[in-house]
Amino acid sequence: MESDWAAAAVGGLERAGVDHVVHLPDSSIAPVLEAATGLESTLVSREEEAVGVLVGAWLGGRRGALVCQSSGLATAFNALGSLAVPARVPFVGLVSRRGDLGEFNVAQVPAGYGMPEMLDAVGVRNHVVDRPADVGRRTRMAAESAFSTRTPYVVLLDATVTGYKSEASREDDR
Amino acid sequence: MTADQYDCTAAVLDRTPDAAVVSNLGVASYVLAAVRHRPRNVYLWGSMGVTTPVGLGLALATDDQVTVLDGDGSTLMGLGALSTVGGVDPPNLVVVVFDNGGYETTGGQRSHAATTDIAAAATACGLASWRTETDDGFADAYDAAVDHDGAALVVCSVAPVDPDERPPFDFAGVAGRARDAIAGR
Repeated sequence: MESDWAAAAVGGLERAGVDHVVHLPDSSIAPVLEAATGLESTLVSREEEAVGVLVGAWLGGRRGALVCQSSGLATAFNALGSLAVPARVPFVGLVSRRGDLGEFNVAQVPAGYGMPEMLDAVGVRNHVVDRPADVGRRTRMAAESAFSTRTPYVVLLDATVTGYKSEASREDDR
Repeated sequence: MTADQYDCTAAVLDRTPDAAVVSNLGVASYVLAAVRHRPRNVYLWGSMGVTTPVGLGLALATDDQVTVLDGDGSTLMGLGALSTVGGVDPPNLVVVVFDNGGYETTGGQRSHAATTDIAAAATACGLASWRTETDDGFADAYDAAVDHDGAALVVCSVAPVDPDERPPFDFAGVAGRARDAIAGR
Protein backbone atom coordinates (compact mmCIF):
# COMPACT_ATOMS: atom_id res chain seq x y z
CA MET A 1 0.00 0.00 0.00
CA GLU A 2 1.37 3.36 -1.05
CA SER A 3 0.34 5.24 2.07
CA ASP A 4 1.56 2.77 4.67
CA TRP A 5 4.23 5.33 5.49
CA ALA A 6 1.52 7.92 6.20
CA ALA A 7 -0.30 5.64 8.65
CA ALA A 8 3.04 4.92 10.30
CA ALA A 9 3.75 8.66 10.57
CA VAL A 10 0.41 9.30 12.25
CA GLY A 11 1.02 6.35 14.58
CA GLY A 12 4.36 7.90 15.53
CA LEU A 13 2.70 11.25 16.24
CA GLU A 14 -0.03 9.64 18.34
CA ARG A 15 2.42 7.59 20.40
CA ALA A 16 4.29 10.81 21.20
CA GLY A 17 1.07 12.45 22.42
CA VAL A 18 0.49 14.75 19.47
CA ASP A 19 -3.19 15.73 19.36
CA HIS A 20 -3.34 18.60 16.85
CA VAL A 21 -2.18 18.78 13.23
CA VAL A 22 -1.77 22.23 11.66
CA HIS A 23 -1.33 22.02 7.95
CA LEU A 24 -1.18 23.36 4.44
CA PRO A 25 -0.68 20.20 2.44
CA ASP A 26 0.52 19.20 -1.01
CA SER A 27 -0.34 15.96 -2.76
CA SER A 28 2.79 14.26 -1.37
CA ILE A 29 2.00 14.89 2.29
CA ALA A 30 -1.82 14.76 2.02
CA PRO A 31 -1.94 11.02 2.92
CA VAL A 32 -0.81 12.01 6.43
CA LEU A 33 -3.91 14.14 6.84
CA GLU A 34 -6.13 11.39 5.46
CA ALA A 35 -4.66 9.04 8.07
CA ALA A 36 -4.87 11.57 10.92
CA THR A 37 -8.61 11.33 11.41
CA GLY A 38 -8.28 11.01 15.19
CA LEU A 39 -6.40 14.29 15.59
CA GLU A 40 -7.68 17.85 15.61
CA SER A 41 -6.88 19.40 12.24
CA THR A 42 -6.44 23.07 11.36
CA LEU A 43 -5.85 24.35 7.83
CA VAL A 44 -3.87 27.60 7.57
CA SER A 45 -3.49 30.01 4.65
CA ARG A 46 0.30 30.35 4.93
CA GLU A 47 2.75 28.10 6.74
CA GLU A 48 4.14 30.94 8.86
CA GLU A 49 0.71 31.08 10.51
CA ALA A 50 1.01 27.40 11.36
CA VAL A 51 4.02 28.05 13.57
CA GLY A 52 1.96 30.65 15.43
CA VAL A 53 -1.01 28.30 15.80
CA LEU A 54 1.28 25.56 17.11
CA VAL A 55 2.83 27.96 19.63
CA GLY A 56 -0.63 28.98 20.84
CA ALA A 57 -1.71 25.35 21.07
CA TRP A 58 1.33 24.51 23.21
CA LEU A 59 0.62 27.48 25.49
CA GLY A 60 -2.81 25.94 25.97
CA GLY A 61 -1.34 22.56 26.94
CA ARG A 62 -1.49 20.79 23.58
CA ARG A 63 1.11 19.01 21.45
CA GLY A 64 1.05 19.87 17.78
CA ALA A 65 2.50 18.86 14.43
CA LEU A 66 3.15 20.97 11.35
CA VAL A 67 2.35 19.19 8.09
CA CYS A 68 3.38 20.96 4.87
CA GLN A 69 5.79 21.02 1.92
CA SER A 70 9.39 22.32 2.07
CA SER A 71 8.50 25.34 -0.06
CA GLY A 72 5.87 26.23 2.52
CA LEU A 73 8.24 25.75 5.42
CA ALA A 74 10.49 28.28 3.70
CA THR A 75 7.78 30.92 4.24
CA ALA A 76 7.82 30.22 7.98
CA PHE A 77 11.40 31.13 8.84
CA ASN A 78 10.71 34.40 10.62
CA ALA A 79 8.25 32.60 12.90
CA LEU A 80 10.79 29.84 13.55
CA GLY A 81 13.68 32.19 14.25
CA SER A 82 11.83 34.86 16.22
CA LEU A 83 9.10 32.82 17.95
CA ALA A 84 9.34 29.03 18.30
CA VAL A 85 13.12 28.87 18.81
CA PRO A 86 13.68 31.81 21.18
CA ALA A 87 10.44 31.19 23.14
CA ARG A 88 11.41 27.51 23.50
CA VAL A 89 8.10 26.22 22.14
CA PRO A 90 8.14 22.66 20.81
CA PHE A 91 6.35 21.12 17.86
CA VAL A 92 7.18 18.40 15.39
CA GLY A 93 7.21 19.04 11.65
CA LEU A 94 6.34 16.44 9.02
CA VAL A 95 7.43 18.06 5.81
CA SER A 96 7.55 16.69 2.27
CA ARG A 97 10.95 17.66 0.91
CA ARG A 98 11.10 18.74 -2.71
CA GLY A 99 14.25 19.52 -4.63
CA ASP A 100 16.30 16.32 -4.39
CA LEU A 101 16.11 13.01 -6.30
CA GLY A 102 13.67 13.15 -9.19
CA GLU A 103 12.86 16.85 -8.84
CA PHE A 104 11.76 18.31 -12.19
CA ASN A 105 11.01 21.88 -11.06
CA VAL A 106 14.05 24.10 -10.55
CA ALA A 107 11.93 26.47 -8.44
CA GLN A 108 11.69 23.75 -5.79
CA VAL A 109 15.44 23.15 -5.62
CA PRO A 110 16.99 25.98 -3.58
CA ALA A 111 14.72 25.80 -0.52
CA GLY A 112 13.91 22.09 -0.85
CA TYR A 113 17.41 20.72 -1.32
CA GLY A 114 18.80 23.36 1.04
CA MET A 115 16.17 22.98 3.78
CA PRO A 116 18.36 20.97 6.20
CA GLU A 117 21.04 23.66 6.16
CA MET A 118 18.44 26.42 6.42
CA LEU A 119 16.90 24.77 9.48
CA ASP A 120 20.35 24.20 11.00
CA ALA A 121 21.10 27.90 10.53
CA VAL A 122 18.14 28.98 12.70
CA GLY A 123 18.70 26.24 15.26
CA VAL A 124 15.88 23.86 14.35
CA ARG A 125 16.98 20.23 14.52
CA ASN A 126 15.95 18.16 11.54
CA HIS A 127 16.31 14.74 9.98
CA VAL A 128 15.79 13.55 6.41
CA VAL A 129 13.96 10.22 6.07
CA ASP A 130 14.43 8.52 2.70
CA ARG A 131 13.04 5.04 3.38
CA PRO A 132 9.30 4.44 3.99
CA ALA A 133 10.06 1.77 6.58
CA ASP A 134 11.81 4.36 8.79
CA VAL A 135 8.95 6.88 8.94
CA GLY A 136 6.94 5.66 11.92
CA ARG A 137 9.73 5.11 14.41
CA ARG A 138 11.67 8.24 13.44
CA THR A 139 8.59 10.44 13.54
CA ARG A 140 7.88 9.21 17.05
CA MET A 141 11.51 9.74 18.12
CA ALA A 142 11.53 13.25 16.63
CA ALA A 143 8.29 14.19 18.36
CA GLU A 144 9.35 12.76 21.71
CA SER A 145 12.63 14.64 21.52
CA ALA A 146 10.90 17.88 20.53
CA PHE A 147 8.56 17.85 23.51
CA SER A 148 11.05 16.59 26.08
CA THR A 149 13.64 19.19 25.08
CA ARG A 150 11.09 21.99 24.52
CA THR A 151 12.43 22.69 21.03
CA PRO A 152 10.99 22.25 17.53
CA TYR A 153 12.09 19.28 15.43
CA VAL A 154 11.41 18.80 11.70
CA VAL A 155 11.25 15.46 9.90
CA LEU A 156 11.82 15.90 6.16
CA LEU A 157 10.33 13.19 3.97
CA ASP A 158 12.09 12.69 0.65
CA ALA A 159 10.34 11.77 -2.60
CA THR A 160 11.64 8.22 -2.10
CA VAL A 161 9.15 8.06 0.81
CA THR A 162 6.21 10.11 -0.37
CA GLY A 163 6.17 8.72 -3.89
CA TYR A 164 7.88 9.63 -7.12
CA LYS A 165 6.10 10.28 -10.37
CA SER A 166 8.34 11.22 -13.26
CA GLU A 167 7.46 14.63 -14.66
CA ALA A 168 10.77 14.97 -16.46
CA SER A 169 10.11 11.93 -18.63
CA ARG A 170 7.08 13.71 -20.08
CA GLU A 171 9.46 16.23 -21.53
CA ASP A 172 11.65 13.42 -22.82
CA ASP A 173 8.62 12.03 -24.61
CA ARG A 174 7.91 15.23 -26.44
CA MET B 1 -10.55 61.37 16.90
CA THR B 2 -8.55 58.61 18.51
CA ALA B 3 -8.83 56.40 21.58
CA ASP B 4 -6.12 55.92 24.21
CA GLN B 5 -4.26 52.60 23.89
CA TYR B 6 -3.58 52.45 27.65
CA ASP B 7 -7.24 52.98 28.52
CA CYS B 8 -8.40 50.44 25.94
CA THR B 9 -5.84 47.85 27.10
CA ALA B 10 -7.01 48.41 30.68
CA ALA B 11 -10.61 47.93 29.49
CA VAL B 12 -9.69 44.53 28.05
CA LEU B 13 -8.21 43.41 31.37
CA ASP B 14 -11.08 44.89 33.41
CA ARG B 15 -13.82 43.34 31.28
CA THR B 16 -12.19 39.94 30.76
CA PRO B 17 -9.89 39.59 33.79
CA ASP B 18 -9.27 35.87 33.25
CA ALA B 19 -8.53 36.14 29.52
CA ALA B 20 -5.30 34.90 28.04
CA VAL B 21 -3.93 37.95 26.23
CA VAL B 22 -1.50 37.60 23.32
CA SER B 23 0.21 40.89 22.50
CA ASN B 24 2.06 41.88 19.34
CA LEU B 25 5.73 42.75 19.61
CA GLY B 26 6.54 46.35 20.44
CA VAL B 27 3.98 48.92 21.50
CA ALA B 28 1.09 46.51 22.18
CA SER B 29 3.28 44.44 24.52
CA TYR B 30 4.88 47.48 26.15
CA VAL B 31 1.48 49.01 26.94
CA LEU B 32 0.13 45.70 28.23
CA ALA B 33 3.14 45.32 30.54
CA ALA B 34 2.63 48.87 31.79
CA VAL B 35 -1.10 48.46 32.41
CA ARG B 36 -0.99 45.09 34.18
CA HIS B 37 1.79 42.52 34.19
CA ARG B 38 0.26 39.05 34.74
CA PRO B 39 1.15 35.44 33.93
CA ARG B 40 -1.63 35.13 31.36
CA ASN B 41 -0.02 37.82 29.21
CA VAL B 42 1.74 36.25 26.24
CA TYR B 43 4.10 39.02 25.20
CA LEU B 44 5.71 38.37 21.83
CA TRP B 45 9.21 39.61 21.11
CA GLY B 46 9.23 38.73 17.41
CA SER B 47 7.24 37.11 14.60
CA MET B 48 5.42 40.24 13.48
CA GLY B 49 2.37 39.17 11.45
CA VAL B 50 1.93 35.96 13.43
CA THR B 51 0.36 37.39 16.61
CA THR B 52 -3.22 36.55 15.65
CA PRO B 53 -2.31 32.95 14.67
CA VAL B 54 -0.83 32.45 18.16
CA GLY B 55 -4.16 33.59 19.59
CA LEU B 56 -5.98 31.20 17.26
CA GLY B 57 -3.95 28.21 18.40
CA LEU B 58 -4.51 29.14 22.02
CA ALA B 59 -8.25 29.62 21.49
CA LEU B 60 -8.44 26.10 20.04
CA ALA B 61 -6.61 24.66 23.04
CA THR B 62 -8.59 26.30 25.85
CA ASP B 63 -12.18 27.20 26.61
CA ASP B 64 -11.02 30.43 28.25
CA GLN B 65 -11.43 33.80 26.58
CA VAL B 66 -8.42 34.57 24.34
CA THR B 67 -7.80 38.16 23.29
CA VAL B 68 -5.14 39.23 20.81
CA LEU B 69 -3.75 42.77 20.97
CA ASP B 70 -2.41 43.28 17.46
CA GLY B 71 -1.35 46.33 15.49
CA ASP B 72 -2.25 47.63 12.06
CA GLY B 73 1.21 46.88 10.66
CA SER B 74 1.28 43.33 11.98
CA THR B 75 -2.27 42.64 10.78
CA LEU B 76 -1.44 43.89 7.29
CA MET B 77 1.69 41.72 7.26
CA GLY B 78 -0.47 38.60 7.65
CA LEU B 79 -3.92 39.46 6.28
CA GLY B 80 -4.28 35.82 5.19
CA ALA B 81 -4.52 34.91 8.86
CA LEU B 82 -7.95 36.59 8.92
CA SER B 83 -9.08 34.06 6.34
CA THR B 84 -7.80 31.25 8.57
CA VAL B 85 -9.48 32.70 11.68
CA GLY B 86 -12.76 33.17 9.81
CA GLY B 87 -12.64 29.63 8.51
CA VAL B 88 -11.93 28.09 11.92
CA ASP B 89 -14.24 30.56 13.69
CA PRO B 90 -13.45 29.88 17.37
CA PRO B 91 -16.12 31.41 19.66
CA ASN B 92 -13.62 32.43 22.36
CA LEU B 93 -11.25 34.53 20.21
CA VAL B 94 -11.32 38.32 19.96
CA VAL B 95 -8.69 40.13 17.90
CA VAL B 96 -8.16 43.77 18.85
CA VAL B 97 -6.28 45.78 16.23
CA PHE B 98 -4.85 48.99 17.65
CA ASP B 99 -4.52 51.15 14.56
CA ASN B 100 -1.98 53.90 15.12
CA GLY B 101 -1.45 54.28 11.39
CA GLY B 102 2.14 53.11 11.29
CA TYR B 103 5.11 51.16 12.52
CA GLU B 104 5.56 52.94 15.85
CA THR B 105 7.97 50.41 17.36
CA THR B 106 10.44 50.98 14.54
CA GLY B 107 10.12 54.75 14.45
CA GLY B 108 6.65 55.68 13.27
CA GLN B 109 6.88 55.02 9.54
CA ARG B 110 3.37 54.95 8.08
CA SER B 111 1.54 51.76 7.09
CA HIS B 112 -1.16 51.27 4.47
CA ALA B 113 -3.83 51.20 7.20
CA ALA B 114 -5.20 54.55 6.02
CA THR B 115 -6.34 53.02 2.74
CA THR B 116 -7.14 49.46 3.89
CA ASP B 117 -10.34 48.87 5.82
CA ILE B 118 -9.16 46.12 8.17
CA ALA B 119 -12.60 45.69 9.74
CA ALA B 120 -14.17 45.21 6.31
CA ALA B 121 -11.45 42.71 5.39
CA ALA B 122 -12.22 40.79 8.57
CA THR B 123 -15.93 40.81 7.79
CA ALA B 124 -15.19 39.56 4.29
CA CYS B 125 -13.23 36.68 5.88
CA GLY B 126 -16.16 35.66 8.07
CA LEU B 127 -15.37 37.41 11.35
CA ALA B 128 -17.78 39.71 13.13
CA SER B 129 -16.11 43.11 13.25
CA TRP B 130 -16.39 46.52 14.85
CA ARG B 131 -14.61 49.80 14.23
CA THR B 132 -14.20 52.49 16.85
CA GLU B 133 -12.14 55.57 17.66
CA THR B 134 -13.11 56.41 21.25
CA ASP B 135 -12.49 54.81 24.64
CA ASP B 136 -16.22 54.39 25.32
CA GLY B 137 -16.82 53.04 21.85
CA PHE B 138 -14.03 50.54 22.34
CA ALA B 139 -15.46 49.25 25.63
CA ASP B 140 -18.85 48.67 24.01
CA ALA B 141 -17.36 47.05 20.91
CA TYR B 142 -15.13 44.80 23.00
CA ASP B 143 -18.07 43.63 25.11
CA ALA B 144 -20.03 42.82 21.96
CA ALA B 145 -17.06 41.01 20.44
CA VAL B 146 -16.59 38.88 23.56
CA ASP B 147 -20.31 38.04 23.59
CA HIS B 148 -20.32 37.13 19.90
CA ASP B 149 -20.54 33.37 19.29
CA GLY B 150 -17.72 33.21 16.77
CA ALA B 151 -14.44 34.88 15.92
CA ALA B 152 -14.56 38.65 16.28
CA LEU B 153 -12.32 41.61 15.56
CA VAL B 154 -12.31 45.19 16.83
CA VAL B 155 -10.32 47.87 15.03
CA CYS B 156 -9.61 50.79 17.33
CA SER B 157 -7.94 53.98 16.10
CA VAL B 158 -5.43 55.10 18.71
CA ALA B 159 -2.93 57.92 19.04
CA PRO B 160 0.71 56.78 18.78
CA VAL B 161 2.42 56.23 22.14
CA ASP B 162 6.03 55.55 23.13
CA PRO B 163 5.98 53.55 26.38
CA ASP B 164 8.98 53.21 28.69
CA GLU B 165 7.73 49.95 30.21
CA ARG B 166 8.99 46.60 28.90
CA PRO B 167 7.82 43.02 29.50
CA PRO B 168 10.42 40.48 30.71
CA PHE B 169 13.22 39.96 28.19
CA ASP B 170 13.22 36.24 29.02
CA PHE B 171 10.98 35.10 26.15
CA ALA B 172 11.08 31.42 27.10
CA GLY B 173 10.17 32.38 30.66
CA VAL B 174 7.17 34.37 29.41
CA ALA B 175 5.98 31.36 27.41
CA GLY B 176 6.52 28.88 30.25
CA ARG B 177 4.71 31.05 32.82
CA ALA B 178 1.80 31.61 30.45
CA ARG B 179 1.47 27.89 29.83
CA ASP B 180 1.55 27.16 33.56
CA ALA B 181 -1.17 29.75 34.16
CA ILE B 182 -3.40 28.76 31.24
CA ALA B 183 -2.95 24.99 31.04
CA GLY B 184 -1.90 24.35 34.61
CA ARG B 185 1.28 22.52 33.70
